[in-house]
Amino acid sequence: MTVKKRSKPVSVNPLKIGQSLGGILAMQGCYRAMPVVHGSQGCSAFPKALLTRHFREPIAVQTSALQEMDVIFDANRNLEEALNAVLSKHRPDIIGIIGTELSDVAGVDYQSMLKSYKRERNMRGGLAFSVTLPDFRGSLESGFSVTVEAMVDELIQQAGLRGQRNVNSRQITLLPGSYLTPGDVMELKEIVSSFGFEVIALPDISTSLSGHLLTGFSPLTRGGVPLDSMLQSLQSGLTIAFGASMERPARRLHNALGTPYKVFQGTMGLKASDELLNFLHQISGVPVPIRYCWQRENLLDCMLDAHFQFAGVSAVAALEPDHLRSVSEWLDELGVEQKALITSYETPAVAEMERDVWVGDLDDAEVLGSGADLWIGSSHGIAGAERIGAAFLAAGFPIWNELGSYMNVSVGYRGAMEWTNKAGNLLMRREAEHRESSVRHR
Amino acid sequence: MEPIRKEEIDDQACGSLAPKSKPCPRPKPGEAAGGCSFDGAQITLLPIMDAAHLVHGPVACAGNSWESRGSLSSGPSLSQYGFATDLSNNDIIFGGEKKLKDSIDYIAGRFAPPAIFVYATCVTALIGEDMDAVCKEASDRLGIPVVPVNSPGFVGSKNLGNRLAGDALLQYVIGTGEPELEASMGVNLIGEYNIAGEMWDIEKLMNQAGITLLSRITGDARYKEITWAHRAKANMVVCSRALLGLAKQMESKYGIPYFEGSFYGAKETTYSLRQMAYLLNDREMERRVDRLTEREENRLSHDLRPYRKILKGKKAVLYTGGVKSWSVISALKELGIQVVGVGTNKSSDEDVQRIADRVSDDTEYIPEGGASRIIKTVRERKADIMIAGGRNMYVAMKEQIPFVDINQERHKAYAGYEGLLRLAKELVDSIANPIWKLASSPAPWDKEDSYDR
Repeated sequence: MTVKKRSKPVSVNPLKIGQSLGGILAMQGCYRAMPVVHGSQGCSAFPKALLTRHFREPIAVQTSALQEMDVIFDANRNLEEALNAVLSKHRPDIIGIIGTELSDVAGVDYQSMLKSYKRERNMRGGLAFSVTLPDFRGSLESGFSVTVEAMVDELIQQAGLRGQRNVNSRQITLLPGSYLTPGDVMELKEIVSSFGFEVIALPDISTSLSGHLLTGFSPLTRGGVPLDSMLQSLQSGLTIAFGASMERPARRLHNALGTPYKVFQGTMGLKASDELLNFLHQISGVPVPIRYCWQRENLLDCMLDAHFQFAGVSAVAALEPDHLRSVSEWLDELGVEQKALITSYETPAVAEMERDVWVGDLDDAEVLGSGADLWIGSSHGIAGAERIGAAFLAAGFPIWNELGSYMNVSVGYRGAMEWTNKAGNLLMRREAEHRESSVRHR
Repeated sequence: MEPIRKEEIDDQACGSLAPKSKPCPRPKPGEAAGGCSFDGAQITLLPIMDAAHLVHGPVACAGNSWESRGSLSSGPSLSQYGFATDLSNNDIIFGGEKKLKDSIDYIAGRFAPPAIFVYATCVTALIGEDMDAVCKEASDRLGIPVVPVNSPGFVGSKNLGNRLAGDALLQYVIGTGEPELEASMGVNLIGEYNIAGEMWDIEKLMNQAGITLLSRITGDARYKEITWAHRAKANMVVCSRALLGLAKQMESKYGIPYFEGSFYGAKETTYSLRQMAYLLNDREMERRVDRLTEREENRLSHDLRPYRKILKGKKAVLYTGGVKSWSVISALKELGIQVVGVGTNKSSDEDVQRIADRVSDDTEYIPEGGASRIIKTVRERKADIMIAGGRNMYVAMKEQIPFVDINQERHKAYAGYEGLLRLAKELVDSIANPIWKLASSPAPWDKEDSYDR
């Protein structure tokens, strides 16, 4: 309904994650790719460490290692040096230059530098693009979607097929939002392909960050969608975007190639899953596969079993905008009171939600969510959840206190069931603990 | 026992006051991997647990880095909070000093910390914020120390950041307070950050020997105890690259003698405790230390017996970030492990010399970063285990190489006698894990010989 903000001069326990991290994450979903962060060393080292901690996988990223004097005199010399090193040593298929707040404030024009670099080196066959992702705007989500948008633009340029293409109506391009785990992306690919479609996810973190046993070390990404599949995706008959933030890249494809698109803003819970499966059923003419009919019943039964646990319960959620919206819809279905919804920055998608949303930090979540039974958010919230005595449900980014959280599934009936059971179990355990402590202290 | 500190001090090392011929190396674009100076400054100062640490800049410098270090606290947890001025576009255009001042006031009013550290970032340094003035004004007005830390990321490497944080301590903190108790026998530990609680093991040993730990710089420290660090009788530098300069300056400014030591391995631990007693110049204490170390070493060698049997002759590749390679080599040697490759990219010349004293001639030196280089060494030298920092952990996992984490993210304490035992256990558990066999054998349908029908 409205987006509010608490007045406080300082951010206490930030929820916001730098945009450039989102850009780096998007690049991990492309095969043999290398993001180059145009900033000081820390601008790539921090995201690398954080992503490694969350996914428990090596993360491909490089830096232009800007230093004081480089910023003053010629930051692009560093970038050129970085590009030379990366290209000659690792020969990536895809290079994404990610401009940071430092290069932005210093007013470095790396776009035109990249252009002339590409011209001089006669760089063909690969993909190279740049995005500007300063931290004082947006968050992880916007960094991710802006990078995908730039990638799509570059693909279209590269292919150079405005207006003339062989549309493959059995092929669908998926644009999964930044909040979806590798497990989610895998599940979505599976659901869509079970209706007889060929699916190309862009980017595809399900094959790069889901854990696989490839040997032979490379500093480039070791999985994800390969460049030729990316180019092939331009022939898709339809684009499906998950998360409102992915609408813009979908629109790019539509504007340039005329590919129709469909955006699913919510991805969690019964209604969202119904909507997706019904849509796929409609466009394919294929009946919904029997396993999803089963899963739907399983979910409804699970919700019936769990409703005792959720009745009268209140929750606070601190997540990126699209994720928050999705989780909020799921909480609605469970009848959970939503004490406070906190997000990192304002987007149209959260502004049009039927609830009050706060743009703020985890300290706001603590204050506004005081008295809540359940806390939904990243591992940064553990301490806050403890302070307000809420059960802690890990979601979003980063999660470091759980194994395998990157493979959790929240989409589809199966995902909704997993989440419902997990949250219900947490609440049950909390209740038991409270009972015990009340006995002990009598 | 072999001498650890050579008499001539290499004053051109990175940690020294005036780097001349060999300053902290410039990170190479496209090949750099480590953190920035801002990261380094935080590593040094965040373990001051009761202080507030405010990052002045766009949100990600704080947002991407808070709660990422394994420094444990025995009480206050304010330093675990992430504070950021979270500058917006407008703040950058019109200046963020007002916001900084308001932020400091807010933190002082709500959390009442004994001190606030304010960190500059690339952007605030670039737009020329006068942080020192804002901090000074706030400090005067609020009556608590507000310490500016001028270590924006783009001034250089992580090591340089450690050093700049040391400078901030020297300039604004050390010497501003007096100890509550008589400090005649006090020792400061410099560059020990209580990763996984290592400081507590060390403290226990010092207490048993009757040595007073005066100031912890900065593992599990309270702000107050650092203000009186200048009253110590001796300094021990645990992490040399980082804060050697601080020890040197304290020597020249306050006349406090220092030595570089380590607590990895029984030999080094014994040496360090002895050295403390020696610098405190107390015969009785020296005798006490001798009795203690003898008893502990005997007990340890008994406890280690089963592990030594398994570890004897095993080969390791060691690639440490912050932790000194040479001291870990000593510890591994005591366990019977041969170090066949060692990283030297973060070692000063002096450290490299110490490494050379401890390894055999055919050990490979790995001068610069790059996981591929480390893995190549592991393969070529047929190493049984890789001992490195968390950043390389998953690279090792992909290559199915047993791994022990030695850097700041680790969860086990390896310092002191108890720590060596823990390290031995960790190494054995890692090498003997069933997963290595399982992961390297193919699926039944991928095996070459087919079913006999």
